[in-house]
Amino acid sequence: MSVAGIDVGQDPMAARRHIGFFPSADRTFYNRLSGLENLAFFGRMYGIRRQEALARARKRLVDVGLSDAVDQRVGLYSHGMQKRLSMARALLMDPPVLVIDEATDGLDPEGARRVQDLTRSIAANGTAVIWTTQRLDEIRGFADAVTVLDQGRTTFQGTVEDLMLKSSARGYLLRLRTADATLDDDALRRAAAALGDRGKLARVGTDREHFRLDLAEHAVLGEVLADLSATGVVVLDCAQQRSELEESFLRLTTART
Amino acid sequence: MTGTRSGALAETLKLGAFFRRDLLVRLSYRGAIVSDWINLFAQALVFSFVSKLVHPIHINGGGRTSYIAFVTVGIAVAGFMAVGLARLVSAIQQEQSLGTLESLMVTPTTASVVLLGSVIYDLIYVPFRTVIFLIIVSIVFNVSFAANGYIPALLILAAFIPFVWGLGSIASAGVLTFRRGSGAIGFLAFALTFTSGAYFPLALFPSWVAPLASINPIGIAISGMRAQLIGGAGWHDALVTIAKLVPLSGITLLLGLYAFRLAMRRERRLGTLGLY
Repeated sequence: MSVAGIDVGQDPMAARRHIGFFPSADRTFYNRLSGLENLAFFGRMYGIRRQEALARARKRLVDVGLSDAVDQRVGLYSHGMQKRLSMARALLMDPPVLVIDEATDGLDPEGARRVQDLTRSIAANGTAVIWTTQRLDEIRGFADAVTVLDQGRTTFQGTVEDLMLKSSARGYLLRLRTADATLDDDALRRAAAALGDRGKLARVGTDREHFRLDLAEHAVLGEVLADLSATGVVVLDCAQQRSELEESFLRLTTART
Repeated sequence: MTGTRSGALAETLKLGAFFRRDLLVRLSYRGAIVSDWINLFAQALVFSFVSKLVHPIHINGGGRTSYIAFVTVGIAVAGFMAVGLARLVSAIQQEQSLGTLESLMVTPTTASVVLLGSVIYDLIYVPFRTVIFLIIVSIVFNVSFAANGYIPALLILAAFIPFVWGLGSIASAGVLTFRRGSGAIGFLAFALTFTSGAYFPLALFPSWVAPLASINPIGIAISGMRAQLIGGAGWHDALVTIAKLVPLSGITLLLGLYAFRLAMRRERRLGTLGLY
């Protein structure tokens, strides 16, 4: 295996100089030291002088939006601030390769978006970013290429769109009524007959309005909904139960488990 | 990637960063520093009262040595051993529990530098603490140490450092592998210290303890330092003590570094370096 043209097995130290690492763990800093001192320390582990380490640390703290917390002890940082500090550390030496492990785990949507935006701008500047995640929907419109690993083995390599095409099971949550009442058993039988071999319809919960629709691969959602309407059923709502990405992932990873 | 240094010199210079890091962390716990010194002096105070009960005739030195002088050297070396060992073990344990060990090990820094760096502050601070303790006790309790014995005693202490470092590295390897076990090392350290004659003359122990103390590095260091500080034994005696200590310290250090490297390699292979 080689990183930036360096054989990792032959010269692991040289390879490490070219990799920025963003760990998944919550706390990976010295809590009694400031953000600046933490970054300067890790900078010096790359063999740079203290003055240069401090200058790089200051710049990166500004880049990740922590300029107000430069001298604050890391122990007092919020979870989101620690994640941004992790990003600053990973970028400290301008590495050509950035490995990011579960960067948005535990972050609120706004915090997750900030980290993603930052990563996008880094990638735009030519850094190769390896983004490890279990939150599949965040890679939509974000990743150029996807690799799915299952128990250490590659089960998929391709684009996000290719991965979405792997989805076959298509589950939807429907809210159904007749014109003047909830669906009784007769109405449900008629709807099931209209579906035929294109899918299955089953009640969900106890409110008599919610149903799960599982479509077969060859079925077209619009046609199925139109045929249901033709039996006198009113479709009040239709929501996809899982995203295609999630379905694909499950299909690629659960087969052997 | 400009401005990076590599090679042995660069690795050595990283130790300065470790020292600064730990100095800043320790200074942030001012209360702990104060209580450490209070404990040390409380211990010396207790032994100063015990000293009034012990007739100098029971101490080696033909009745010329007071018990407080005798035990102060023991406390200093035993304290050096206990504090040094505890901090060596806790250094790696802390890195692991803080989650910083994994972050350190992905930087281009060798495992040996991470191990040495994690304890460099203590390797400098603990001997310094020992010397300051001896000086202050000699003033406060009017214990007269031989002025010409300080430098040889310091060299004996220096020859003893690799033994503490080696034992600490073995303990660190154990903690890295089993996540527990520092208690067992603490007990071993206590047993080695207690039977070294740190607090009581060896003549008071069963007869089989004295031969063991003569090959116990703690016993060798303590008796060597006593001979210098109390008896002013001179350079020849100091060199004999150092000659005994160096191989024992060297072997323990090599074993310790080897054990630590093996433990680190195992954790990396299993991917459990960051777990505690």
